[in-house]
Amino acid sequence: MIRFSDAKISGADYGLIFVVLTLTLIGLIAIYSASYKVESPALKANFTRQILWFFISVIFMVIAIIVPPKAYQAAAYWFYFISIVLLILTLVLNRGSSVARWITFGPIRFQPAEFAKISVIIVLARFLSHEKRNLNKLKDIAISFGLVLLPFLLIAKQPDLGTALVFLAVILPVLFWAGLPGFFLFIIIAPFIVMISSFNYYSYFLAMISIAIALLCFKRGLFISIFIMVLNIIVGIVTPLLWNHLHDYQKHRILTFLGLEMDPRGLSYQVIQSKVAVGSGGFLGKGILKGTQTQLRFLPEQHTDFVFSVIGEELGFIGSLFVMILFLILLLRGIYIASKVRNKFSSVMVIGVIAILGFHIIVNIGMTVGMMPVTGLPLPFLSYGGSFLIVCMTLMGIIINASIRRFKY
Amino acid sequence: MTIPRKQFLYSISVVILFLILTARFFYLQIYKQAQYFRASEKNRIREVIVEPTRGLILDRNGEVMVDNHPSYSVYAIPFEVKEADSVLDLAGQILNMTSTEIKNIIRREKTSIFNPVKLKRQIDFETLSRIEEQRLDLPGIIYQIEPRRYYPSGVRAPHVFGYLGEIDKKELNQPEFKGFRLGDIIGKKGLEKFYERELRGLRGYQYVEVDVLGREIRKLKEKPEILPLPGKNLHLAIDAQLQRSLEARMDTLRGGAVVVDCTNGEVLALVSKPDYDLQIFTKPISAEIWKALVNDPAKPLYDRMVQSLYPPGSTYKLILVAAALERGIIKPDWKAFCPGYTWLGRKRYDCWNLVGHAELDLLSAIERSCNVYFYKLGLKVGLDNWAQFSRLFLFDKPTGIDLIDEKSGLVPDRDYLDHQFGKDRWSKGLILNLSIGQGDLLVTPLQMVRLAMIIANQGVYYPLHLLKYIEDPIDGTKQWASVDSFKITGISKETYEILKQGMYRVCHGEHGTGRAAAYRNIAIAGKTGTAENPHGEDHAWFIGYAPVNQPKIAFCILVENGGAGGKVAAPIAREIIKNYFYQTKEKRDKI
Repeated sequence: MIRFSDAKISGADYGLIFVVLTLTLIGLIAIYSASYKVESPALKANFTRQILWFFISVIFMVIAIIVPPKAYQAAAYWFYFISIVLLILTLVLNRGSSVARWITFGPIRFQPAEFAKISVIIVLARFLSHEKRNLNKLKDIAISFGLVLLPFLLIAKQPDLGTALVFLAVILPVLFWAGLPGFFLFIIIAPFIVMISSFNYYSYFLAMISIAIALLCFKRGLFISIFIMVLNIIVGIVTPLLWNHLHDYQKHRILTFLGLEMDPRGLSYQVIQSKVAVGSGGFLGKGILKGTQTQLRFLPEQHTDFVFSVIGEELGFIGSLFVMILFLILLLRGIYIASKVRNKFSSVMVIGVIAILGFHIIVNIGMTVGMMPVTGLPLPFLSYGGSFLIVCMTLMGIIINASIRRFKY
Repeated sequence: MTIPRKQFLYSISVVILFLILTARFFYLQIYKQAQYFRASEKNRIREVIVEPTRGLILDRNGEVMVDNHPSYSVYAIPFEVKEADSVLDLAGQILNMTSTEIKNIIRREKTSIFNPVKLKRQIDFETLSRIEEQRLDLPGIIYQIEPRRYYPSGVRAPHVFGYLGEIDKKELNQPEFKGFRLGDIIGKKGLEKFYERELRGLRGYQYVEVDVLGREIRKLKEKPEILPLPGKNLHLAIDAQLQRSLEARMDTLRGGAVVVDCTNGEVLALVSKPDYDLQIFTKPISAEIWKALVNDPAKPLYDRMVQSLYPPGSTYKLILVAAALERGIIKPDWKAFCPGYTWLGRKRYDCWNLVGHAELDLLSAIERSCNVYFYKLGLKVGLDNWAQFSRLFLFDKPTGIDLIDEKSGLVPDRDYLDHQFGKDRWSKGLILNLSIGQGDLLVTPLQMVRLAMIIANQGVYYPLHLLKYIEDPIDGTKQWASVDSFKITGISKETYEILKQGMYRVCHGEHGTGRAAAYRNIAIAGKTGTAENPHGEDHAWFIGYAPVNQPKIAFCILVENGGAGGKVAAPIAREIIKNYFYQTKEKRDKI
């Protein structure tokens, strides 16, 4: 039993740790199964290496629990600064190669984008929990966005659109939690709806009418309402033009996801094989090490992005449901903790963590069953990968850290 | 908004998203489970076709005339090859092809990405072992056993046996070839085609588990292999010994010969010359050889006995005789004088013997094949009777032999001539030509041998057939060819008697045109024919049967542009008699 002078671990916190450990264990089983018959020794070592990563990541979690919130708060901007430097360094060091995601220090290889996830949450929490912040003011909102957009752009440049999108996904739940008025939320979300609808005249028209009605309901000033209206109209016009500036494979992913493009040997092939794996698992699954899609390697990326399909195939609907329930408990408990924590910094930080984990979980699982595009986002605690597991465990540490000190201001 | 309300909002959002995901899993794993399970099985299970061995073709005494050699063909599975250059280069190197060639074949012939495409047929043993050695570097390149014919007996008979070849697009669409793929080998001609279904057998299937790279992991225990059923053996009525000797005898000639058992319609020998060596079709045939065969002016690909039409010449006088006697137009003692020619209007019609035959009765006229006698008889009988009896003796119908593309003769009648020349615009002289088997009349040699059989049996005949029985090589059950007999009605016994006597005198009479056919003490009956034709020298014919008293075989010999039937064709009949009744007597006794 860990003892803290200023904190108290409740039974619920142990429950949360238990959930995380169970998820990691299931992940290890899936990785074992996915690497079971592989001739390549490098891949076969995945399982043992992931166990090693697990122990290392537990240390990170423990550290994240022990460190007092004040220390997070103090180090927030430094963390952020180091992350940005590392991200720039990633781009610089990997100049010339088509994909720049890794930094190598001797034997250690890691993805700065993963650690940026933590620092962005901390810096946002620090910035938003300051007592002088007023989220009715444009300046504070803009700075919040800036804090997120900087790493977003650096990561998108790698290019890793999937990971970059995580940063965008975090900002809205965090801002709203920290006090952003609903009207501003609306102003921010509206252009995205317009973007999606702008490829079709009818949907564009419909979106515009909806925005107009919403503006009437909010009863803000005439000038501001008209301004927002015009802004959205422009967004709708510009989006198709910007579309042409995306990378081909990015366009391709989005189009394939929308069902507008077919490529049986490409990404939709991956999704098809994943759906076949999951669907063929049936209610009870084919049994561990007995999934043909997994064992015969028809399932792509099975120890990383599509690890959940392994579970779907070998453990069936029951197994999938069990894992999803564990994730649901984790997220709901996180939200609960965020609402109970008296310290606003911790509260916002926890919501940030939940947003990041939730985004990964929903997008990854959605991807394995063909509901989300193939973005390359791994599944927390289950997917193979050292950097990512450490990040996830650290994020869990942050939640537990907040939970055990929830009565402190 | 207060924190508890936000908590509720966030929680409910998460719950809704998870419910959507759960619904999706329910849909895939429970509602659609069967469909996806099939898809996953399809992924991992490869069906490997095991070709059955093709049935053999044997002669009436069990001598194997068409046999199998194992031979291997190389295929590419498009899905697994994926046109990877390393694989195609290596495969090309081994198969002596360029990778572009292979790519083109795959693109041209692939029906689905999982169906193997044949790259090369009949690779030699060295190539086979090289593929086997480098199997790991050749994912998606496989080989399969395939039937390859060889002909151990020395019987050529290409027109009878036929050959095998790759199925073409047209055949693929036929219901008979459902489930076949481009590149499969089927019978293309002759018996190989006619009895394709029996010879082919049933395919077997092996089920192997493959991984995503197409490598075979193991044979499936849960889905046992289905063994192929070998094709059935064809036991023919052909007498290999007789066939060989006839083929040798006629080797330098154009034409052919057919010998049938007139007690059941079995074909004992069927020769068409010139022919070709079936061995060339056991390998993928080159374009040059094929072109040379097709363009050969001697037309070796044609089965002259079955597919070609000829004027029958004097052999056809027998029909006129039957018509005249049955209609009561003459009695056998009716006489006519032959000065070597006759006049019709201003046109002179010559006898073949320009010196003339003097006065002849019917039997003498048959024996000596006097044209003038039959000119005069033809005028008395008339076109309508002649045409009616031609049809009565089935010259407008094929013999029903078990070969493809059999032709039927052309019997000109009033309607035909009206159509050709305009109503009643044709000269009466045409009947003179038809009386001696010339003019527009065309028959096949098979129809002529049927005529000989009908006369020998006094009206009874059997559809000609090469097959005796089909034998299942597994349980030995036999399926006999049907030997239904038919009878020509409307010809009296007396008429047959006259025909038979006439034909006997052709071979044994003092002036018989077919004396060259007689051999030792076998009494035979026959009729010569010397058919004028626009392609040069006359066609030599001889039809007949033996022995006279209890007919056993009927035969028909045709030598294209050979000259006089009595000189050229009759000696071949003698060869048949000799061979059938003497050289193989012991064998014959068993039957």
